[in-house]
Amino acid sequence: MSEATIQGQSVIGKVAHDHGHAGHHEHDHHEESFISKYVFSQDHKMIAKQFLITGMIWAIIGGLFSVLFRLQLGYPDATFPFLEDIFGKWAQGGKISPDFYYALVTMHGTILVFFVLTAGLSGTFANLLIPLQIGARDMASPMLNMLSYWFFFGASIVMFASLFVQTGPAAGGWTIYPPLSALGQASEGSKIGMDLWLVSMALFIVSSLLGGLNYISTILNMRTKGLSMTRLPLTVWALFFTAVLGVLSFPVLLSGAILLLFDRNLGTSFYLSDIVVKGEILPNEGGSAILFQHLFWFLGHPEVYIILLPAMGMVSEVMSVNARKPIFGYLAMIVSLFAITILAFLVWAHHMFVTGLNPFLGAFFVLLTLLIAIPSAVKVFNWLTTIWRGNLRFTPAMLYAIGFVSLFISGGLTGIFLGNSTLDLHLHDTYFVVAHFHIVMGVASFFGMFAGLNHWFPKMYGRYLNNTMAYIHFWITFVGAYLIFWPMHYQGFAGMPRRYYDYSNWESFKQFIELNRFISTVAMVVFAAQLLLVFNFFYSIFKGRKLKTENPWGAATLEWTTPINPGHGNWPGEIPEVHRWAYDYGKDGREFIPQNEPVGPNESHH
Amino acid sequence: MQAVSEQQRKKIHPHKFTLWVAIGSILMMFAGLTSAYIVKRAQANWALLEIPKAFWISTVVILASSLTTYLAQKAFKERQMLKYRQMLGITALLGLAFLILQIVGFTALTKQDIKLVGAGSNASFSFLLAIASLHGAHLLGGVIAFFVMYVRSRNAKIRSYNPVPIEVASTYWHFVDLLWIYLILFFSVMK
Amino acid sequence: MSGFFILAILALAFLVVFQIAKASEYVSVLKGEEKTFLQNNKINAFLFIVFLVAGLVGVWYCNELYYGKTLFVQPSASDHGEKIDKMMWITLAVTGVVFFMTQIMLFWFAYKYQYSEKRKAYYYPHNNKWEVLWTVVPAIFLTVLVGFGLYYWFGITKEAPQGSQVVEITGKQFNWLVRYPGKDAVLGRKNYRLTNASDGNALGVDWEDASSHDDIEASEVHLVVNKPVKFVINAQDVIHDVGLPHFRLKMDAVPGIPTTIWFTPKYTTAEMKKITGNKDFVYEISCDQMCGSGHYSMKGIIVVETQEEYNAWLADKKPQYVTVMEGKKTPVAVADSATAKPIAALSK
Repeated sequence: MSEATIQGQSVIGKVAHDHGHAGHHEHDHHEESFISKYVFSQDHKMIAKQFLITGMIWAIIGGLFSVLFRLQLGYPDATFPFLEDIFGKWAQGGKISPDFYYALVTMHGTILVFFVLTAGLSGTFANLLIPLQIGARDMASPMLNMLSYWFFFGASIVMFASLFVQTGPAAGGWTIYPPLSALGQASEGSKIGMDLWLVSMALFIVSSLLGGLNYISTILNMRTKGLSMTRLPLTVWALFFTAVLGVLSFPVLLSGAILLLFDRNLGTSFYLSDIVVKGEILPNEGGSAILFQHLFWFLGHPEVYIILLPAMGMVSEVMSVNARKPIFGYLAMIVSLFAITILAFLVWAHHMFVTGLNPFLGAFFVLLTLLIAIPSAVKVFNWLTTIWRGNLRFTPAMLYAIGFVSLFISGGLTGIFLGNSTLDLHLHDTYFVVAHFHIVMGVASFFGMFAGLNHWFPKMYGRYLNNTMAYIHFWITFVGAYLIFWPMHYQGFAGMPRRYYDYSNWESFKQFIELNRFISTVAMVVFAAQLLLVFNFFYSIFKGRKLKTENPWGAATLEWTTPINPGHGNWPGEIPEVHRWAYDYGKDGREFIPQNEPVGPNESHH
Repeated sequence: MQAVSEQQRKKIHPHKFTLWVAIGSILMMFAGLTSAYIVKRAQANWALLEIPKAFWISTVVILASSLTTYLAQKAFKERQMLKYRQMLGITALLGLAFLILQIVGFTALTKQDIKLVGAGSNASFSFLLAIASLHGAHLLGGVIAFFVMYVRSRNAKIRSYNPVPIEVASTYWHFVDLLWIYLILFFSVMK
Repeated sequence: MSGFFILAILALAFLVVFQIAKASEYVSVLKGEEKTFLQNNKINAFLFIVFLVAGLVGVWYCNELYYGKTLFVQPSASDHGEKIDKMMWITLAVTGVVFFMTQIMLFWFAYKYQYSEKRKAYYYPHNNKWEVLWTVVPAIFLTVLVGFGLYYWFGITKEAPQGSQVVEITGKQFNWLVRYPGKDAVLGRKNYRLTNASDGNALGVDWEDASSHDDIEASEVHLVVNKPVKFVINAQDVIHDVGLPHFRLKMDAVPGIPTTIWFTPKYTTAEMKKITGNKDFVYEISCDQMCGSGHYSMKGIIVVETQEEYNAWLADKKPQYVTVMEGKKTPVAVADSATAKPIAALSK
């Protein structure tokens, strides 16, 4: 709150010569130490990179966890001595123990949903792109922005620490339903590991809120001259709605988490009632475990859209640039983003159809859930029409964008099964659900992220990522993802439950032993392929082919009018003024018309 | 970094706008908690809430602190810097007084053998504790902000003419005050 | 040994890819970026069509391999399940059409409109007619799905018919406890504070309630074919879920909040053995809500049989109350497994 005063003071205190405002910001002559430039940076571009690299590290950890638990699922009878060498008591006899398995599954979900696909996706691209695409020198509050990253870092430290405690990290699923997550007696992972999880998430939520506040304020208040809301690139619209979703829904998770901390450590009975656990009768009375689920899913559902929307925005951008034609139905795309945002708050209980809730309540949520399919469908058709009669350049980013649409179609359609409570009675908690959310949220959003990474890496580092590695990474991941998750629908149709350590003793579910082995094998190959991307990324930062032009993709948006390696303040001179929307590709015979080019006298109207 | 381009249609300062969004966010958390309270209350096993007298006194205190906040803002604008500093300090102290009164109130409850947490506690009082504590935490943040501003204002070397910090701090403080009014009325009506 | 081998292969593959990637960048510079770009474009466009064809074949092949392992190849074992299966087919039809239509369009367009120097992209920013069309048409189809769905949903979640057999299933870490209401058809009251497995009261039944005196506790669920049954579902420690895959149903078991689900079983276990051709067929209850490290091992058994078989099974079952009272008369050594402890004073 007194940051402006600080800045004012530092200006007066430090500088003898003229510090002109808006037009002539010369920030580079400020003395910047290594610490203030790279560590506690307040530059949005550096913060974006911090989020990205932290997110990538978590992605490797979370992905590795999935390889481990797929090892158990794929080879339930095998033993792997090296596992005991590394993990000791968690893998005695070379076999992953059930406790370890459930910890792996829980942390895989937690890490990927929050640390990778929320912080690593929104955090990276919102920070990188918003000021650049709206023509601002930085975010509304660079200080808050820096804090947003460091709270994320703090959350990461705590969550990472929880992996190493004696009793293990949280193990009740990433959804951490009480009473399982409230009672240390019910599960080892519900001991100190669960408290650390909750503390980490509290820090994480603060980080997300600080970020979201900044994004909203910046987009609404700091657009350059001429940039009305309806001239904004869809990336910015998507990031805007994402921030709104986060700001309104994360606090409710925080409230649920706080009450859980109370139940765990202060003996309250918000969620607990009538419990006899391992023979011990607990005094708690009057609590409702379902209350937690309402509070959790009030965030939980918007959360999946927080993950998806930025990917949608970036895909729209990448497709349009590489098809050399405008995104089809720009306004409809905005309206559908808006509809998705509103509806996202109204569908949470479709995760709770089988909790015994009132059937009328259930019906209400069925209606709203299937309603949300409509704007999603609109978006798919708009993307298809965007590439129709385009002139498609298959840059790696474009490949991921097309892959995204394919995955979103597949995963989105299975949502129609699950949103129907009648079908959910059968499919809830089966592998059908696992297939659905991995395809539509996991892989699709990752593809959005990969598209963004490939498209904007030149802006971040002034170099290109290696094309060949990117192509190979794309095809292996795309084919692999379908090979892994498509057959899971069939397992779901067999009623095969999720979160099971071993199916060999089940007459009803043991027919998938070979399929599980196949899936596990493919999963390991796909994970290995991800290392290709990671390597490509880090190698290209230093050794990538250097950019020779500011605008390698021939794109119309403002970020490409900055110099190749933009410094503080992004534009060395005046910030460009905007005269048109972001999608003049192929207009009047021209490849593209940048947003800052004034409208010519003979130009057609669109 | 005054990162605002001059030609912006200046409706509201970005920092003020950010605060309003933050207020919306904080409200969502309390909305979640009070909704949970309402749901829980409709179920069996609910003990009627008793609001300690100290809470009513603390309400008066926090209202007074909003007044001193307003006076601080006014003094700043009129460049009455001594009064500005004094009002900042008094607001911070009143805030602390509020927190102490909260503690007094909860202690009074426990002396009456009402359990807030642990075995024998009822959700109603647990909610009161949880929600009031969270409000208190947010209020404490405001107290710290005012304290920092007070310390800064004593630094004779730097003159600040920018009203945005005190305006932002005041808005936040009024929010915390109004939030308390809402909460205590909520608890009295929805015993 | 084989682990090292695999790692070595991976490392080698990685090195090879890296070298190819680096080399290809040099080649592209030498050949000229324009030419490289055109060539890569053609390759990827072609790969998209290959993917489409291979993908469609894969979808078909996967179905060949695994359709037979789903529950579709058996009739639903419950009346409600028939509705659920029908809903499944309707949804599959609608989504299937959309799936094939859109995926084919996506990859076909990607291939057809690949970059060509001769092609000019068509500047086509919007067309509201299309927007209305593809808003309204999905809305219509979704309304149909919602309509069917809710119609079936209310049919399934309405009150159980009068005279339904009541069976109580209680989930705990990590098994299911089953209780029948006995001749009075009323389940005795429970109070969780009375739970004491070593004293024969694993369920916390209140023996003071007379209607508990004829309640029968069993290790498996027995049902009479074609007779509606209402499950009263409880949980003792954490949330579990009574999963009934063959019946196409499930319902959460929540501590402190009883839930119910009802249905009519259509086929006896013996009949199902014949229908599925699996002599080991058994109706299993799977726990369908994460409940701890033994979640995967909470198997319950349901036997669906004729009225006579059921009567015979029930006939030699003694009400738990009787067992407990007899036990009190003669001191009995506590046999079994129980992780049970006597009512513990809370010392937290």
